[in-house]
Amino acid sequence: MDIVAGLLQGFSVALAPSNLLWCFVGVFLGTVVGVLPGLGPPATIAMLLPLTFSMNPAGAIIMLAGIYYGAKYGGSTTSILMNVPGESASVVTCIDGYQMARKGRAGAALGIAAIASFVAGTVGVLGLMLVAPPLAKFALSFSSPEYFALMSLGLALVVLLAGRSIVKALLAALLGLWIASIGTDPFSTTSRFTFGRLELLSGIDFVVVAIGVFALGEVLANMEAREDATLLETPKGLRNLLPTWQDLKDCRFAFANGSIVGFLVGTLPGGGSTIASFLSYGLEKAVSRRKDEFGTGVIEGVAAPEGANNSETGGALVPLLTLGIPGSGTTAILLAALVLWGFKPGPLFIPEHPDLFWGLVASMYIGNVMLLVLNLPLVPLFAQVLRLPVYMLYPLILGVSMVGVYTASGSLFDLGLLMVFGLLGYVMRKLDYPAAPLILGLALGAGMERALRQSLMMSQGSLSILVSRPISAVMLSLALLVLLIPLFGKLNAWRLRALES
Amino acid sequence: MIVRCVLFVLAATVGLTTDAFAQGFRPTRPVELVVHTGPGGGSDLLARALALMAEREKLLPVRVVVVNKPGGNSAVAAAYLAEKRGEPNTVGLFTGVWLQTPLVSAEARVTLKDLTPVARLVLEPAVIAVKADAPFKTLQEFIDAAKRSPGALKQSGGSNTSRDNVVRLLLQKSTGTRWAFISFPGGGERIAALIGGHVDIMVIEPEEAGEHIRAGNMRVLAQISERRLPGFPNVPTLREAGFDVPVVPQVRGMVAPPGIPRANVEYWEDFCRRLTRSPSWQKYIADNQFEDGYQNAADLAKFYDEFTGRMRDILKDAGVKTVR
Repeated sequence: MDIVAGLLQGFSVALAPSNLLWCFVGVFLGTVVGVLPGLGPPATIAMLLPLTFSMNPAGAIIMLAGIYYGAKYGGSTTSILMNVPGESASVVTCIDGYQMARKGRAGAALGIAAIASFVAGTVGVLGLMLVAPPLAKFALSFSSPEYFALMSLGLALVVLLAGRSIVKALLAALLGLWIASIGTDPFSTTSRFTFGRLELLSGIDFVVVAIGVFALGEVLANMEAREDATLLETPKGLRNLLPTWQDLKDCRFAFANGSIVGFLVGTLPGGGSTIASFLSYGLEKAVSRRKDEFGTGVIEGVAAPEGANNSETGGALVPLLTLGIPGSGTTAILLAALVLWGFKPGPLFIPEHPDLFWGLVASMYIGNVMLLVLNLPLVPLFAQVLRLPVYMLYPLILGVSMVGVYTASGSLFDLGLLMVFGLLGYVMRKLDYPAAPLILGLALGAGMERALRQSLMMSQGSLSILVSRPISAVMLSLALLVLLIPLFGKLNAWRLRALES
Repeated sequence: MIVRCVLFVLAATVGLTTDAFAQGFRPTRPVELVVHTGPGGGSDLLARALALMAEREKLLPVRVVVVNKPGGNSAVAAAYLAEKRGEPNTVGLFTGVWLQTPLVSAEARVTLKDLTPVARLVLEPAVIAVKADAPFKTLQEFIDAAKRSPGALKQSGGSNTSRDNVVRLLLQKSTGTRWAFISFPGGGERIAALIGGHVDIMVIEPEEAGEHIRAGNMRVLAQISERRLPGFPNVPTLREAGFDVPVVPQVRGMVAPPGIPRANVEYWEDFCRRLTRSPSWQKYIADNQFEDGYQNAADLAKFYDEFTGRMRDILKDAGVKTVR
């Protein structure tokens, strides 16, 4: 068996004391930058890059990959505790994670995030190990029409993310799509809605909007309450803070869903962890028996997206290592790092450097275990944050949000935008507009527009390209189905009422 | 340490009081190297490699700190440098985008001429590639196919002001043919579109193409450079293949804030010259299959006028709205 031999060779590399140390350094740093909003893995890896020139390449790639997947573990922390998404992939975690924290279940939410990350992260590595080359071929059959269909499916989930009113959800999604269109048109390089501000030429950063609408909106809405009540007491003792057996049972499907959706979306060069986390959340809600409770603090609503954004890292390494094609910002830096160390990443990388590939794979198994051991004990510690009285907690959230946005961009203009979107979040809350569809529209808008226009350029303007290609046809039909299901429900209720009267 | 601090203070006071200080300019604080991409972008990586080389080859008395000012397709970084008027310890790395963005975007008010161009460092050649099992064996065959079915063949590339598209526009004009150009923001997606068989042709950096050729995924039809690249001794240049179109260079170089004394410009010019002669730089260039493109400030200014003039014509020809 090639795989067994490869894996044995890999563990012999990964278990070397120095590489174990680098693996630990990587996942530890990853956890830290994941917890801190703003400072993401790309910036961290870029800063550490010069240090790696004097390192042995196996240790270096093990460490940098550790930062990459380690950050996905920490990303959920501020989402759950403060409604501040640490990175774009943990935006969805806010929806149910923060509600769980409000109900005094922050510990369970943080715990399940770590466990789901571990399960899905490990499945992602398994996938990378077992099916990388054939899957990379499959991923290449995806092009613009397929991406458009995939994102339409994602946008159809708006209906599932909707609160009480589908119309309000659609309006919020439209607003998100509009915000996504701000900036420079990628095809004609003309500027759109920039109002003469050069800061707007490259568009509005997704994270600024998400932090503004989620975190600041929440702070503003709560300040209005003017009561000096503290948030709910967090239970004492490690046992009461961690997820229960019942929680784990509830999440069985979420683990599988997150693992598979995350990995598959990760392998697509135009995918990304944000789409992966939204899709798995939507799927989880679609099949759940307690659909209506989503958004009020359902544990599967944390487990599915957190799992998805972790197995996405395994998936994203597939096109990087088998084809030399990076799909995201972080994998682009990993690619550059490999080049700077003197490797030629490409289709021949794995056959020519089996020790590096298998060493990396083995280190990722080890790293995921390290992350679980590292993160679970941190849960009670982080959960203490919620013991703060509100007059301290809200300014803290405000501070964390502002520091997060400023470290990400170093721009005062973005801080101004943050305030604007905070107000928007507050107004939306008052008028009972859901925030998630806005964020989803924004996350998918630019990609969807691009994919649609690319498809039409490919077909010389004919829309038939979207339905004549099998993968895209199937996904578009699914999207249509998702949109129609609630209508059928409504029609049925209407019919019953008509029958009764 | 204390001695150095005292010297630093002395130097700073002298610098404030007399112009004589500028004569023998040396950076006194860690140098800020401004780039227009986020961490991991092409310029960012070059800047970090440059910082490392400056340290290894002892080319600077101080450290180099990379400052990322992403946004506005380089307009944010250019505006940042313009604000640093007269600041001696800040320089930036420019690329072709810095030249093209002000041409098409009214908001991008700062051109390279509003700053202090210091030196050109690198020219990046490119090659024209197709999928390995494509029916075209030469660029002429591709052009013939494009002639037979105008607009049906597809090229993947960057934005419409990118070099990829400019090469296409030039080739279309000189041969009277037409094919579609599909923009992909990420380099990875462009390659995936080609080897996935969704587009027919692309302009790609030699180093990126190398591995796909070796694995039998890609074939190179022509190279966009004046001379054949060492890595592609058997592939004709555009001119050798019979297409007399100007070679569009992808440039990288150094730029300083406006309003700095002549002595500072000379210092940075000299730094760039010593850098490009150093063994680490030579190896970096060879590894990436770049061309050494060193030009001093005066030549760079000439290059800038020529380049933007030609670019403006090409873009106008193609129906792109230019604003400057």
